[in-house]
This record gives sequence, structure tokens and C-alpha cells, in this order.
Amino acid sequence: MAENARKLSNVLLSGNEAIARGAWEAGARLGSGYPGTPSSEILPALVELGDVYCEWSVNEKVALEVAAGASVAGARCLVTMKHVGVNVAADPLFTMSYTGVEGGIVIISADDPSMHSSQNEQDNRNYARAAKVPMLEPADSQEARDQTMRAFELSEEFDTPVFVRPVTRICHSDGLVEVGERQVVELRGEMAKQPEKFVMVPAHARKRRVTMSERTQRLIELAEESDLNREEMGDESVGIIASGVAYQYAKEAFPGASFLKLGMVWPLPPERIRQFASKVGRLFVVEELDPFLTEQILAMGVHVEPVDESFRIGELTPGRVREMIGGAAMPQAAPDADLPPRPPTLCAGCPHRSVFVGLRKLKAYVTGDIGCYTLGTLPPLQALHTCLCMGAGINEAHGIQKVRGHEAPVVAVIGDSTFTHSGITGLVNIAYNAGVSTVVILDNRTTAMTGGQVHPGIGETLSGLPGRELDFEKLALAIGIEDVRVVDPYEMAETEQAIREAMANPQPSVVIARRACVLDVRERGPAPVLDEEKCIHCGLCVRIGCPALFDAAGEGEKTLPRIDAVLCNGCTMCVQVCPVDALVVPAAGEGDA
Amino acid sequence: MVTNVLLTGVGGQGIITASTILSQACRLAGWEVKKSEVHGMSQRGGSVNSYVRFSPDQPIASPLIPEGEADVMVAFEPLEALRQIAEVTPEGALLVEERRIVPVTVNLPGFSYPDDVLDRLQATGRDVQVIRASETAVALGEPRAANSVMLGALSILLELPDEAWGEAMGLVLKPKAVEVNMHAFEAGRELVGAQSGAG
Repeated sequence: MAENARKLSNVLLSGNEAIARGAWEAGARLGSGYPGTPSSEILPALVELGDVYCEWSVNEKVALEVAAGASVAGARCLVTMKHVGVNVAADPLFTMSYTGVEGGIVIISADDPSMHSSQNEQDNRNYARAAKVPMLEPADSQEARDQTMRAFELSEEFDTPVFVRPVTRICHSDGLVEVGERQVVELRGEMAKQPEKFVMVPAHARKRRVTMSERTQRLIELAEESDLNREEMGDESVGIIASGVAYQYAKEAFPGASFLKLGMVWPLPPERIRQFASKVGRLFVVEELDPFLTEQILAMGVHVEPVDESFRIGELTPGRVREMIGGAAMPQAAPDADLPPRPPTLCAGCPHRSVFVGLRKLKAYVTGDIGCYTLGTLPPLQALHTCLCMGAGINEAHGIQKVRGHEAPVVAVIGDSTFTHSGITGLVNIAYNAGVSTVVILDNRTTAMTGGQVHPGIGETLSGLPGRELDFEKLALAIGIEDVRVVDPYEMAETEQAIREAMANPQPSVVIARRACVLDVRERGPAPVLDEEKCIHCGLCVRIGCPALFDAAGEGEKTLPRIDAVLCNGCTMCVQVCPVDALVVPAAGEGDA
Repeated sequence: MVTNVLLTGVGGQGIITASTILSQACRLAGWEVKKSEVHGMSQRGGSVNSYVRFSPDQPIASPLIPEGEADVMVAFEPLEALRQIAEVTPEGALLVEERRIVPVTVNLPGFSYPDDVLDRLQATGRDVQVIRASETAVALGEPRAANSVMLGALSILLELPDEAWGEAMGLVLKPKAVEVNMHAFEAGRELVGAQSGAG
């Protein structure tokens, strides 16, 4: 009973909520970041806890620099981003390692092994070593909270930003967490002017570089002693060094083995690792993605059992760890090969589907961007042909047309949030360098793919307060784009015509397709009804790729459109593409909607 | 003993809400619990899996259910049940929502929604119960409560105290949605009770 009573005092938190909790308890004064799966829920959870100024910054570089300022002013700051966001923030990051901090700075790098919702699976532990910034890696929600608090202390004690690196299976896993109250942490220092610390001109930076090396040495000493790293001795014939969620998979697969569980993955404790190695028979390192620990441990002169290269790709699982260490074959899932896959799709009623229907008709080569709109690449739309990183599509279109000319039917598409994140500079570049490209901004009034966060185009901030709304039309004009059009993408013919004209214009152009994300709109129209007599089975309606509309015909038969009235949003795009008016919107009171 | 429940279906069906209610019920019962799922792209109408692992008496390491070790699968869509069937132990139980959601890929050459999904599930030898969750929820006037019908059915297979379920629903759901979801939950219990003839 007593045990149960103890547990009842715990709360159930996702890793993301636990990170927010840790920052709140540690007395953070500022939270900044840019949404990105799997990190997006951290700042909203921090806002909910209260007492902390939080903002969605325009991008990750901005977020980190805002924190740099608040840190100079003596505040503890939490900065959140997904792994690829760290690429955007890398410029300030590398030099902040030189300047260090005043108030503690904790940077959350939420990595996404297996790319559940990302364009690559880069292993951001490499950033810790490259920037010489210590990194903690939580293995569950409790550690996510505890390590975040600890990271603030380390940041101030060692005068450095500190990384905490959760992965998708930590961010989006829930577990029981013992929590505490918020600490009162005063602003540190008096904002004394310290040019040798904060002005990184070569003369100053050279001195700081030496300080960094001394800091790393002291961090290694900490790693040797700290309870962030721990030994769990069991069967000594097999020793496993692991951290983060990989530790949990290894523990699940080999509960009886001996473990050296690392909570700090950079820098490592060489003596502790050598000691552990000397106590066990075969030594394995279980880690997701790069051989980051493995290579450092090998460099210490410690023998580690080799692991097949295939285990360096994608996230691990208990079964994969069994296979990796024990050679046990995975229970083969034998999935039925004939099952139709169910990839993510643009939602039923997504207003911006029409842009892709139009671009497909115009046979455009479409340079795309990050977000929901990458889904335009999937069949049957197949109307998006590049996706590299935030903001890239605009610049790729410009590059293509600089070598292929205006005749190349190229269109860049970008979402509204992505445009503010890193599309604006590309548009300036096009105007400045006499570009000719057409850029379509799919303005759904939100950051949709990551769960619907606000951004500068909305005029509302993360804390729900009004913010100055960025006017895309005026911005484009100010940049020097003279051909700016605004369309309602629910009007399919008008949308297609606007893009067609913009493409024909030898000057650069911007088309803003503006309509709110269907997930943010409660009203819906009735589902259309098929007039079987009129239908000519042409398949045009099915080819818009709406998840509420499917072809019930067997293989080789003529299209037989069927509408799932529960999923249908009543957007009427299928009605608009039907050449014979066989799809009819029932008048109010009719139909089953 | 650790119990592993796999909830599977299509993004937008309320699977994450259902798995959160289950996890909270476990916490309220004083049990250890871990839950895992992915957000973001996979929620845009794609296949979604949520893993819930709990135990009255032992710690839980992996947030993912080890391959092939799900004791119960709650499938919100028949095709998704078939896609994940190998994750369930041979002795495992399946609760399968009857209503199909046809994936857009059937519009492509070479794919169709198989007619024999339930037969194929039953042919695996596992205990399969078909739950008319959407139909039941629609009859209650709230189609979005289908996930609570499924949870009610699940509650028959687990040994969680009734009050933990009720309290968990109160914690997770918006206040105005609680009552109809409680009705849906009860209806789900009755659906299974009627089929198995036992409580």
C-alpha cells in the first residue's frame, strides 16, 4: 500500500513535458524555440506551467540568440528544436561554446532516428563533440526532468551551454515522474560589460579557446565521478555500455547483463570505461545511429565487439538489440505483401490540395519545402519534386532557372511558417539577382505538420497575446516582387489560372494561396453525392488524392468513386474537377451529413 | 508481470487519446506504466501505433513493446489490425473495430482493400473479437466516442479497477465530453460481455 501511495504522488509525463517541468523547476526565465517534431510540445508545456517567458522564435538561430541575450542578462534559458534545427542554430552555437554563459543555457536537440517525421536522421551527438558542448541523454521521462535541471547547474558551473538530447522515443513516450516545486533563481550578475568573454574577435576568442580545453578536462573529471553515469553489475560475461533509450532496449533484451549506463554522452569518462571493460567478458556498445561512443571507446584502447553496419541505420528496438548482440534472429513479421500501404496524406478538405492539382495540370517542376506540403509528392498528386530543408525550394527554383531559363516550368512552393523561418531571404535573393521564379506561398495560417503552432503571419504569440502580423503581400512588394497575387485555393480554376499567369510572367512572382488549415476549421459542408447515371468513370475525382474519396472498382475495371461521408469535409474539390457534374452537393437538409 | 497493449489504427481516430486514458488508469491504479507513440507526419491519415506497457509489480525498461510480444491489440481499423498482427503473441487477444477506412493507395494500380481481412485475422489462431465501435458511438450521438467504446471493450480483458478508468477519462477528456464517453465506454463493455458470455 505504501508503495502504491508513493507512486500515486507521481505524474505521468511525456519526455517533452518532463523537460518543460525540469526547466520550470530549475527556475528558467525564458524558453525559445521553433516547432519541429519531436520537440514541439516542450514550449507549450512550459507556457502552461506559467512564470516563464516563452516564444516561438522565427527560427532556431533566432531562438538560440534570444537565449544568448537573456543569458547575458543573467537568466536561465531553455532552447528547443529538432535535430535539423540545430543546423540552423549552428552558427551561434559554435561560438557560444567560446563565450559561455551568465545565466544557464540548456539546448534541447530532439533527434529523430528512423525519420518518423524528418528529412534525415543525423546524429546530433556529433554536435556536442564538434562544438565542445557537454551533452546529456535521458533514458525516460524521469531522467528528462532530472537531467534538464542538472543541465542548468552544469551550464552555470562550467560556463557553457549544455545540450540535452532526447530522441523521438523519449520525447513521445510517457512515464511516471516524481516532480518538485519551482526553485527561486535570481538573475545572475549585474550585466557587467565583459568584452573578453562576449566579444568574439580573434584576440579574445584565442584566449577563450584555451579556457574551453580546460573546461573539457574538468567535465571529464566530473564524468568520472558523477552519478549521471552509473554501473549496474550483473552477469559479468556480457558488459553493455549504453545511453538514452538504447539503454532501455538493451535492458529489456538482456536484463541480467552488466551495464555501464551513460547519462552524459560527451565528454566520456575514460577511466570508468576502462574499469568497466576490465570487469566484463565481452563488451558491447549499444547505441542508435553513428558509432559515436564506439569510436571514442576504441580510441581509449578498449576492445569493443564489432556490430554490423546495418544497426547504424534507424532506431533500435529490443528485438534489434537481441539480434545485434545475441545473433538471435528477429521474429519475422511476414507482413502480407498485398496490403495497401497507408502513408500520411493531405487531409480530406485540405485547401492546398488544389495547388498541387493545378501544378500537376500545368506540368510544373515543383521545388518544395518542409511541412505538410511535402505530401504533395505522393501519388496520385506527384506534384512536388524536391524537398531538401527549410527554405530550400525558393532557392532551388532560382538556381534551376538561372541555368535553364524562364522557359523551364519551375514553381517553388512553401508553407507560411516555413516562409517566415527561412524563405524570406531566398525571395530577397531572387529579386536582387534578377531572378524570374514563381513562388507559391501555401498560407494555411498555422504551422500545421507539427501540430498547429502560431507564427509571425498569424498575429498571435505562443502565450496567446497579440503580436504584429507579418503581411506577406507587402513584404513581397517591399522585397521588389511586383507580381503578387492572392487566391482562395478552394476556388480551383482561379488558383490554377493565377499560377499559370505568374509562371508566364518573365518577372519574379509570388502567389499567396490563403485558406486556414482544415484541422483548425470546425464548420464542414455536406458530403457530395454521386449521380451514378451521369458518372463517366473518368477517374478525375479520384486523382485529387482525397482520403475521403476512393475507387471501389476492382483491378482493371472502370473507376467507381465512393465517398466516405464520415471523413469528407465537404470542400467540393471533387465536385469542381468532375467534367460532367456527376458529383452533387446536396442542398441543406438532404443527404446524410 | 508486464502487460503489453498495442493500439493501432489511422491518424485522427483518437488513438493517442485512448492510450493516454489507459496509461492514466494504470497510474491511478498505482501501477508502473510506459506509453510510446509518434506524432507529426504519421498523424496525417497514416498508420498509427501506440504502445502501452504496464505492470502492478515490476519496472518497465523499453517504451516499445518488444517485437511479437503484444498481449492485446486494440485495432481501430481492420486493415491496420492485419498489418500489425505479427506483433501479437500467438495466445494474444484482438479487439477489432468493424468499420473500414480505405487508404488512398487503393486508387493506385496493384492495390485494393482485401475482402477477407477478418478471416485472415481469425486464421492466425488468435482470439479475435469484432467490435462495432463506430456504429455504437454514432447511435450514442457522438461518432468521436468510438475510441471509448474500444476502451470499454478492452477494460473487460484487463484487471484495472473500474474507478481508475472513470477517473482517467475525467482527467484526459474535456469536461463536456466526459459523459458521452462514459456511456460509450459502458456500451463497449457490454459489447464484449455479450460476445464472450462472461464478465
